[in-house]
Amino acid sequence: MLLEVKNLSIEFHDHLIPETVVSGVNLELSEGQILGIVGESGSGKSMTAHAIAGLLSRHDMKKTGEILFEGQDLLTCPRAKLREIQGNEISVIFQEPMTSLNPVKKIGWQVGETLRIHTQLDKAQIKARVLEMLEKVELDDPEKVYNQYPHELSGGMRQRVMIASAMICKPKILIADEPTTALDVTIQAQIVKLLQRINRKEKTAILFISHDLSLVKTLCEQVIVMQHGRIVESGLSEEIFNHPREDYTRLLVSAIPGCERGKRMQEKL
Amino acid sequence: MKQIIEKIRGLRKKKQNTMFITGCVITGVILLLTLIGFIHTPYEPDQMDAANKLAGISWQHLMGCDNFGRDIFSRVLKGCGTTLVVAGGTVLIGTVFGILIGAFTGYFGGLLDEVLMRIMDALFAFPSLLLALVFVSLFGKGKYHVIIALGIAFIPSFSRIVRSEYMRCRDLDYVKSASLAGASHLRIMFVHILPNIRTVLVSSVMIGFNNAVLAEAGLTYLGIGVQPPDASLGEMLSSAQTYLFSAPWYAFGTGLMIILMILGFSLMAEGMKKHTA
Repeated sequence: MLLEVKNLSIEFHDHLIPETVVSGVNLELSEGQILGIVGESGSGKSMTAHAIAGLLSRHDMKKTGEILFEGQDLLTCPRAKLREIQGNEISVIFQEPMTSLNPVKKIGWQVGETLRIHTQLDKAQIKARVLEMLEKVELDDPEKVYNQYPHELSGGMRQRVMIASAMICKPKILIADEPTTALDVTIQAQIVKLLQRINRKEKTAILFISHDLSLVKTLCEQVIVMQHGRIVESGLSEEIFNHPREDYTRLLVSAIPGCERGKRMQEKL
Repeated sequence: MKQIIEKIRGLRKKKQNTMFITGCVITGVILLLTLIGFIHTPYEPDQMDAANKLAGISWQHLMGCDNFGRDIFSRVLKGCGTTLVVAGGTVLIGTVFGILIGAFTGYFGGLLDEVLMRIMDALFAFPSLLLALVFVSLFGKGKYHVIIALGIAFIPSFSRIVRSEYMRCRDLDYVKSASLAGASHLRIMFVHILPNIRTVLVSSVMIGFNNAVLAEAGLTYLGIGVQPPDASLGEMLSSAQTYLFSAPWYAFGTGLMIILMILGFSLMAEGMKKHTA
């Protein structure tokens, strides 16, 4: 098992009354698997992902449970060890491609940053790898993009750049925290396809977090449904979408806009 | 080729920014005069001449002569250098320590932030002139002591500006991405965040420079700054005060220089702010 989360709870202690945002979450991710986490805003899905990525290092936060990456507990391991894993073994793409790139650095520099931190490659080698990666994420003119600044790119291009920089060290797990929410529908489909291709080619396990159920339905084999920081239901994607057991899941699934009306219109014609 | 064209375009954009250009011109002239002052002055700045005591403005003495018959223009050239060195040194100390303290407190927060910022508050509560006064009276007079004293007095304001910028930046997504790429705290602080706050830094350095020029002039005016016969604009202005009515050109020449220096840097800072806004 690549990643095992056992009984993870996260509490905020920045107010007088501690607030539990995630409680008792268990999940498993094996190599090359795509796991979807769905739920409404505030259901704790992003918090779970951030905790796995090792992003929640605030003092006023209490985390209990275990996050085992290849047997190593990420919650208790020293920061140096965690940094070795971050970017190299576990990468993250965020929701907002507009803000997740540094506005004053060139794209090439930013994509190569992970390599600069984790490897001893020289400048020319890094540049070659970056260009190769930019091509892999299907950017039209990698040489040109290499020398551009984030503000010169469109949202979809930026998200591709983010994927390139997340994937450059060939991580074993890619955490995609609502990677398509800020993009329009056609670009969404492209990005999802790109993720699928990466998953197939590189055997990267993807933890796909989204509130877009139709996307999750097409992309993920396994799905976890979360509400109020707890897992409501989990299982195979088909099972959950076709035969939901819990009321909440049923409610969510029924909220997927279908093509029923369109079909009826077609029949009429 | 493309890059050259883009650079020219950028310059043209800057040219529309008249404030910045005027500031640059004035500062350039001052720097040029200072440079000339280091190499050559029309008269020996310390050379006294009893016959020309408080002589008026003439072709021989462009800004007249002071109470010892020394050529004011020559002394102004020399004094600009001293003032610039003192102001530059002050700003350098203030910025370097300000950035360090501001970066650590703003980025990490917590106890470190509380302790360091309370110390900065204490420093801030002191008027900077008073602090410098205390320092100079403890360690003695002289140019370098003035630099250190003013530099320390300038640290709190810089560190506050830098701290607030770091607090703003530390929760942004690109900082998170950097930390997720496995970058160390130091790398995030100085490679990822610092370039992002450079515009704020540059304009506050400019303003700091102005304040330093004024503070140096003020300290020397009080008699604890740069010591005679070393010429400095503040020192000259303070002795000019005595002859304000009998020889107004003395104060005029030196005062004009201070005003121009401040004006140049202020315009540059303002222009830069406008350019980035």
